[in-house]
Amino acid sequence: MTSAGESVSRKWYSGMLKTEDWWAVWLGLALFLAGLGTIWGVDIVGWMTKLKTWEFTQVMNDLSWSKLMKASGKAYAGWHPLASLFMTWLVFTALTTLGAWFMGLNVTRFFLGWTVIFFLTWALWIIGHEAHFKAHKTAESITAAQVWGDDIYCLTKVNKCSKELKAALKDMGADPLKPTPEQAAAAVEKAKHAVRLSWGLQLGGGFSFMLALAVGLIIGNFIKPVAEFLKEAAKPEWFIKTAIVYLGIKLGHLSLKSSSFTFELLLAGAAATFVAYLLFWPIVYWLGRKPFRLPRDASAVLASGISICGVSAAIATAGAIRAKPVLATVVSMLIVIFAMLELIVLPGFYTAAFPDQPIVNGAALGMTVKTDGADAAAGAILEELMKARHYQETGQLWGAGILESAIVTKIWIDVFIGVWAFVLAIMWMKYVERTPGQPRVGASEIWFRFPKFVIGYFIAWFTYLAIALFWPELGKAADAGAKIVQSPMRKMMFMLTFVAIGVITDFSKLKGMGRLAVLYAIALFLIIAPIALVVAYIFHRGMMPLPAGG
Amino acid sequence: MSADLELTLTHDGNDWVGRNADLGIHVKGESLGALDAALMARLAAMPEWAGRRVTVAMRFDNATIPTWIRQYAAHYFNRLVELDLRAEAASHA
Repeated sequence: MTSAGESVSRKWYSGMLKTEDWWAVWLGLALFLAGLGTIWGVDIVGWMTKLKTWEFTQVMNDLSWSKLMKASGKAYAGWHPLASLFMTWLVFTALTTLGAWFMGLNVTRFFLGWTVIFFLTWALWIIGHEAHFKAHKTAESITAAQVWGDDIYCLTKVNKCSKELKAALKDMGADPLKPTPEQAAAAVEKAKHAVRLSWGLQLGGGFSFMLALAVGLIIGNFIKPVAEFLKEAAKPEWFIKTAIVYLGIKLGHLSLKSSSFTFELLLAGAAATFVAYLLFWPIVYWLGRKPFRLPRDASAVLASGISICGVSAAIATAGAIRAKPVLATVVSMLIVIFAMLELIVLPGFYTAAFPDQPIVNGAALGMTVKTDGADAAAGAILEELMKARHYQETGQLWGAGILESAIVTKIWIDVFIGVWAFVLAIMWMKYVERTPGQPRVGASEIWFRFPKFVIGYFIAWFTYLAIALFWPELGKAADAGAKIVQSPMRKMMFMLTFVAIGVITDFSKLKGMGRLAVLYAIALFLIIAPIALVVAYIFHRGMMPLPAGG
Repeated sequence: MSADLELTLTHDGNDWVGRNADLGIHVKGESLGALDAALMARLAAMPEWAGRRVTVAMRFDNATIPTWIRQYAAHYFNRLVELDLRAEAASHA
């Protein structure tokens, strides 16, 4: 008599409809492919809402939704902004709820929680677009304040404001290069997107991110019944992995602008990751075993969690060495909570301490922050802070590169989790737990631990690159849809990540973690972060973001 | 590779627990080795398994991992062990 004789090995396609990792691929590629509809002249994604930078008194004087947002695509220009927002909610709700159903989540709770998170996110995002928080000073205010005054801010891209100011001066018959203060003042009045403000933080998109994170953390730590209600839908890893698939388009675009920069970023990221692996893991394992006298399994799980890729690595290691699951759970709690601390502290610290090393800082974040959500979120804040600081100091705008360096480094780390789990499992059974009759470890472990969202990222990247290289005549048409997916959709997924990651973070869980928490803090801030910075400096020094629009 | 017998594997905080409710199997062990030994003893006492070489698949029940962690990793581990009950039967004889 036999019981169910099903194979213990999972099929290679196991989980394709049941895991968030795969659903990030489906959600990402569905909208990426929909965006490509513009190649055939069909705009399937233009309903996506795009926010505008707005100024408080202007909107209060003439209340209108169209001052706050609009549909992204030209084909949808006639849509009421709220219809566009409703459509955005409808499409993303349908897709995510479908995913929630397949993943076996409580669909009703997911739908309600998602809807609350969605509209809360948009409300915060709208607030974050207020000019006093977001708008940058115009280049004229930075470089020629004696003529223009130092209080002119731009409600759109700063180079567009400069063009508007120059056009206004030409219309008046003034010299666009040497206006008088009176002519400059008149040009500011005429320019559509230039405003005078008594103060401005000039944080770009960074303020929205920080606001979303702060509100998420307040809910997660002080309004716990609400956090409990939202938890079913608060999926920062799902949201950020979907955003990273969309980011593949941006990397494709970046590859076209500068293939050498992209190649160097990939190569340096891989080399830095490899070096970091070899340094972090043995040091933290030794710290756990010797000074902290932790058991072997606890030291190994903690070393993997803090050295490699956070929760995924901790669980992969715990599974590989057959550790008690409670150990993986405790280490995972530590990782998530400390990732939040890193997210709060590191972007501001790196911006202040190393303002001239933007790509080094991005790569260091990628090696230090241990969850994909927190790393991408920290990378996004770092990029906004560093760009804003550089612009304020030089009047020159940096383009892409900082966020990409944080994410490329992290993706390399993610990709090798499976390999590490496989190697560790073999080593553990061969040298540590030498019990006769131990089951063999299959190489399929590498595939099962492989982060599947990376597949979506590469598909988006290479598809976009292939279109631009092999069918350049289609490039402009493809751009129209791809830009919508890459910009407003990706940024919305980032914003959802910030709110969700705050909601699921409960700092009170640190209580009672004892030696593990102390070891984690010491290892993170005294070993991992400094080594990551040195390794990032060795491999990325001298690399700078591409100029904006260049 | 297929198995003769499947068990659900969990950990109750102290012991590894292997279970197959349909066959009335519920065994515990502080380590996985102890669990295997307990399972061998249990199977040896069951006429349908005694004296055989049995391949046992133990699937970790992911539902016991907290929901919020499952978004980071969907899979813990599974085991496939071969238990030789022939020697066990001989020693009982």
